[in-house]
Amino acid sequence: MELFEAISTRRSIRRYTADPVDDDKVNKILEAGRWAPSWANTQCWRFVVVRDPEVKARIGQCLMGAKIEGKAVDNPATKAINTVPVLIVVCAEMNKSGCKPGDPTSKDFVTDKGDWFMFDTALASQNMVLAAHGLGLATVIMGAFDAPAVEEILGIPKGYRVVVLLPLGVPTWEGKAPPRKTLDEIVVHDQWDS
Amino acid sequence: MDVFEAIKSRRSIRKYKPDPVSDDDLQKVLEAAHWAPSWANTQCWRFIVVRSPEIKQKVAGTLNRVQIGDDFLKNAATEAIRQAPVLIVACAQTGIAGYNRDGTPVTDKDDWLLFDVALAVQNLTLAACALGMGTVIVGAFDAKKAAEILDVPDGCTVVTMTPLGYPDHTGQIPPRKALGDIVYKDTFGKS
Repeated sequence: MELFEAISTRRSIRRYTADPVDDDKVNKILEAGRWAPSWANTQCWRFVVVRDPEVKARIGQCLMGAKIEGKAVDNPATKAINTVPVLIVVCAEMNKSGCKPGDPTSKDFVTDKGDWFMFDTALASQNMVLAAHGLGLATVIMGAFDAPAVEEILGIPKGYRVVVLLPLGVPTWEGKAPPRKTLDEIVVHDQWDS
Repeated sequence: MDVFEAIKSRRSIRKYKPDPVSDDDLQKVLEAAHWAPSWANTQCWRFIVVRSPEIKQKVAGTLNRVQIGDDFLKNAATEAIRQAPVLIVACAQTGIAGYNRDGTPVTDKDDWLLFDVALAVQNLTLAACALGMGTVIVGAFDAKKAAEILDVPDGCTVVTMTPLGYPDHTGQIPPRKALGDIVYKDTFGKS
């Protein structure tokens, strides 16, 4: 698919068929993630590809709003995770991106933003989202979940964190584009008050 | 350009030709950025398009020097910002992405502004590549000084910047970790 078409027609999809997604496509999507740029090429991202339905179901229960007063409710995002054949869990190694080089355990951050793992995993995630759409698949970037609970389920070691969940599957519909601010609302020239 | 070709052929460009960037192409890369998804569609990103050579020069002065051994060398991106006809500075409204209506954070990550700005910036760098232009994402600079130079108001922070222009070199491909080193199956550490 042509890049500008991919960028402008990509939608966040929460309804999927149960159709399988083969490893070849998953690998193409992971490759796209791997080609993203990163802070001093630190590549702090790690991807856990979950196909095991039990593991997926447990992760689905960690979404915000998946439980009301301890009881599971029918959350469309949870349903999406249970329906799709593949869930990509985007993780990050801490204290790499945004740190001075040399000392791998350094907490000596270079900027006022601290650890840049959120930035770098997003660069990789956006590549993967576009790649999925380019292959006729769909996904949605999920951030509203109990990350420490998912870290426990996946056995994430100390020094790593779970960032976002990307369900990957065949969409049942094209999705809708939520309205975007116009360029005039988000772009200024030379200086803020110009 | 095909989406996979853009993803794989994009390079971080640190040398630029002085050739101008048309308003039409500038509009295309900014539109690509604004199509990115964001936390609950909050679109916390804001972009400052700097063409003024004086302001570009001042902003370039906020870049950190690069430490190599005991030497502190000028970041190659400093010169790139001077060379390229356009500098795009990506800012973000703070306290919006990742927050409940009552102002409490939804997740253990607090503000998701770095994440959402990066989604938009990645669209922008790919769009530039497809139009034959180059970019390099710069993060190592004094964001507070840059905000002062650019009159960025309180409640907004300067996140990153990239020169935008026509490449004067092909760019290097820094080696990537193999997929086997970054991908696990079902649980962490299992390949």
